[in-house]
Amino acid sequence: MSQRNPSDFRKEIDLRQDRRQWLKTSATLLGASVLPLVAETTEAAPQTQSTPKAPPRHAHETRPTSRFFTPEQHALVDELTETIIPADSHSGGAKDARVTDFIDKTLRETQDEDQKRTWREGLPLIDSMSRHHNGKSYVDASPEERIAVLTVLSDNDRMTDLPEVKFFKDLKHLTVIGYYTSKVGIHDDLQYKGNRVLQEYVGCDDQGAAKT
Amino acid sequence: MPACLQGKLMTLDPEVDLRKTYDAVIVGSGAAGGMAAHVLTSKGMKVLLLEAGKKLDIEQELRSMEWPYDNANRGFLPPDSHSLNFNEYTIRRPPYGPGFEKSKHLHSYIGSSDYTKNIVVDERENPFTGTNYAWVRARCLGGKTNIWGRLALRLSDYDFKAKDRDGFGENWPISYGDIAPYYDKVDLYLGITGVKENLDYLPDSIFQRPTKLNCAELTLRQGIQKMGRVLTQYRAGVTSDGLKHNKYRSRCYGRGACSRKGGCDIHAAFDSPTGLIYPAMDTGNLTLRPNSTVREVTVDPATGKANGVRFIDSQTMKDYHVKARVVIVAASTLESARLLLLSKSRQHPNGLANSSGHVGHNFCEHVMGPGITGRAKDLVGKPPTLDDGRPGGFYLTRFRNLKEKHPKFIRGYGFEGGSGSTMFPRGTDTHGFGAVFKDEVRKNHGAYVEMGGFGEVLARYENHVDLDPMVKDKWGIPALRFHYRFGDNERKMCEDMKETAKEMFEAAGFEILHVSDRMLTEGWSIHELGTARMGNDPKTSVLNQFEQSHDVKNLFVVDGSAFVNASCQNPTWTIMALCWRSCDYLADEMKKGNL
Repeated sequence: MSQRNPSDFRKEIDLRQDRRQWLKTSATLLGASVLPLVAETTEAAPQTQSTPKAPPRHAHETRPTSRFFTPEQHALVDELTETIIPADSHSGGAKDARVTDFIDKTLRETQDEDQKRTWREGLPLIDSMSRHHNGKSYVDASPEERIAVLTVLSDNDRMTDLPEVKFFKDLKHLTVIGYYTSKVGIHDDLQYKGNRVLQEYVGCDDQGAAKT
Repeated sequence: MPACLQGKLMTLDPEVDLRKTYDAVIVGSGAAGGMAAHVLTSKGMKVLLLEAGKKLDIEQELRSMEWPYDNANRGFLPPDSHSLNFNEYTIRRPPYGPGFEKSKHLHSYIGSSDYTKNIVVDERENPFTGTNYAWVRARCLGGKTNIWGRLALRLSDYDFKAKDRDGFGENWPISYGDIAPYYDKVDLYLGITGVKENLDYLPDSIFQRPTKLNCAELTLRQGIQKMGRVLTQYRAGVTSDGLKHNKYRSRCYGRGACSRKGGCDIHAAFDSPTGLIYPAMDTGNLTLRPNSTVREVTVDPATGKANGVRFIDSQTMKDYHVKARVVIVAASTLESARLLLLSKSRQHPNGLANSSGHVGHNFCEHVMGPGITGRAKDLVGKPPTLDDGRPGGFYLTRFRNLKEKHPKFIRGYGFEGGSGSTMFPRGTDTHGFGAVFKDEVRKNHGAYVEMGGFGEVLARYENHVDLDPMVKDKWGIPALRFHYRFGDNERKMCEDMKETAKEMFEAAGFEILHVSDRMLTEGWSIHELGTARMGNDPKTSVLNQFEQSHDVKNLFVVDGSAFVNASCQNPTWTIMALCWRSCDYLADEMKKGNL
């Protein structure tokens, strides 16, 4: 399964059909997961605040109380954001830009309970998808396997009634904002030239990118 | 903060002597109020300027050179605040407030950044009712000039005498020749950058060093030339060469933070405090009192003439009255109309200066929304360039109903636009994710070209505001109620904007990515005008050609409310030119003892 080409994968998946399968799978994996899974409740009324979490062992040792993500969630979000904007030969990716910290702060401080719920529900759902399709958690999956999971969501991004799609859209939104407002995004990736004192305005004739 | 400003900020809140009678009291410190203060103090008049909002440490607000990663919220609003978006303006009705209880502060759409949030008002403290309206109000010294878009255009006789051309509405009581010398004065005193085009429908200013078009913009200029259409450098109310007579303003250094919906911390872009008010204070003739919410222009019971204003200290809520020989209302188009309607007396039962019944009516502005996004394919993948190190991109001038009549609508529209790289890249709405997405954003972000239309909304009597009989603001002052909608002419004009935007991008050879004729909420342009229009006939107008009330000789209304129509050009430069002309007249009349 790990050898599957993501584009083959994409053609075969109808998310609405598919999710029945992986939601079942996720139920059997519940005990094994370190993540606070709420997938079994996603099609019932949201119970975000009262959903019992599977507390990570020794969590109090590594996790500042003010954090939104547990260390395990933080690791998962690191990989998710890196899948959205990966490092390449040109510049660093979301991990280098510490996008997860930005998202954590955003979610910690937001007054939008809907958004918090989207993330609390979305993370275990993504992990369930990965376990179903790849036979392993998202963090343990290869880059290709991760791409395969997010491709299903990206290709079905009009199904915004599904919590995992809603999650994917907000994941991409926050990753894009976090990345392109970071030093890595502005200076390394885009090599933005402005926000400094100029003596003369720059026009077409002065630019390297002259017209052909 | 520039050293020259520090002393100025310290003296902003003097003890105001409310026992004396000022030569003039000015209500509002934006473009109009600032200009009135400048002109009248330069003639030796003793002037009191009242501003409803607080004095802000404006450089601290604007922080033009701050990088997003050095800002706690990456330049966005803090999480306890919310700014209204298009969807909310569409599905909700004023007063905007219910439904946003979770947010400590609620702002109009322009208050969506960390750099504008303290400049615009809190919607809940300043409710209004009636039809939907994206009403942007800035209550602070300088008002909206602290964050204005800077496009500084002249009107022409195509606008002043528009009725002669199509029969609609009224002509202005002035023609271009009357105001041209005052446009010149504003150009020279405040500074403007641009390029001469010799267009009779969009007269040139006295320009300082121009900005430059980038490659895609040049392509568009050349592409539409054969259609007889003109794209010119953004005519910005920005001093690109500096102003020897003004120590509070630096010349523009093209630093590139102009597009963040904020102002300019070195004041190269005009704002009323550094451009007009501080120099006026230096004459020794200006007294400024912030936190002063004027709620009534008072009249002498014997003569019916204005004798001062009643105001509430915005913070202590104490009530005051101050006397003046002349009252100058410059509170912004809608607030000025509100103040006149609030000023009821035995002599003026319908509100002050309102014997015509036209106060609050003929309310007009610019419709926004239709626009286009495209890509200059030859720029894709090219090395990064500096495109936003200037106060604006381009202005594509009006072309409808100049020589030939359009069969479906009257009047015209122009486009504001720009191209190239920005600090936050264009194109992040590209589908997908991953290495391909990242590469697409990087390759394309400098190649986008965008423009949006600004069209004249006809001044119709039925589009109006009045006072809400129930709802009051935080200070107990009756709120404004809107009866205002776009009409058929605007809708047809917007359909045409979409078509012409498309044909011009095609002519330039751009790949078209998105084109829309969707209108934004009424008010979006922040160009509200016309609620106390000028005219020669006291039965159908509120003011004469010098923005002097027909009814009350010592009352002047010098902001956008005096406009007879909206034209399609941005109004700030015209507001100031008209105000200068009116204040010259005012001072002369005062000398002659006619007020």
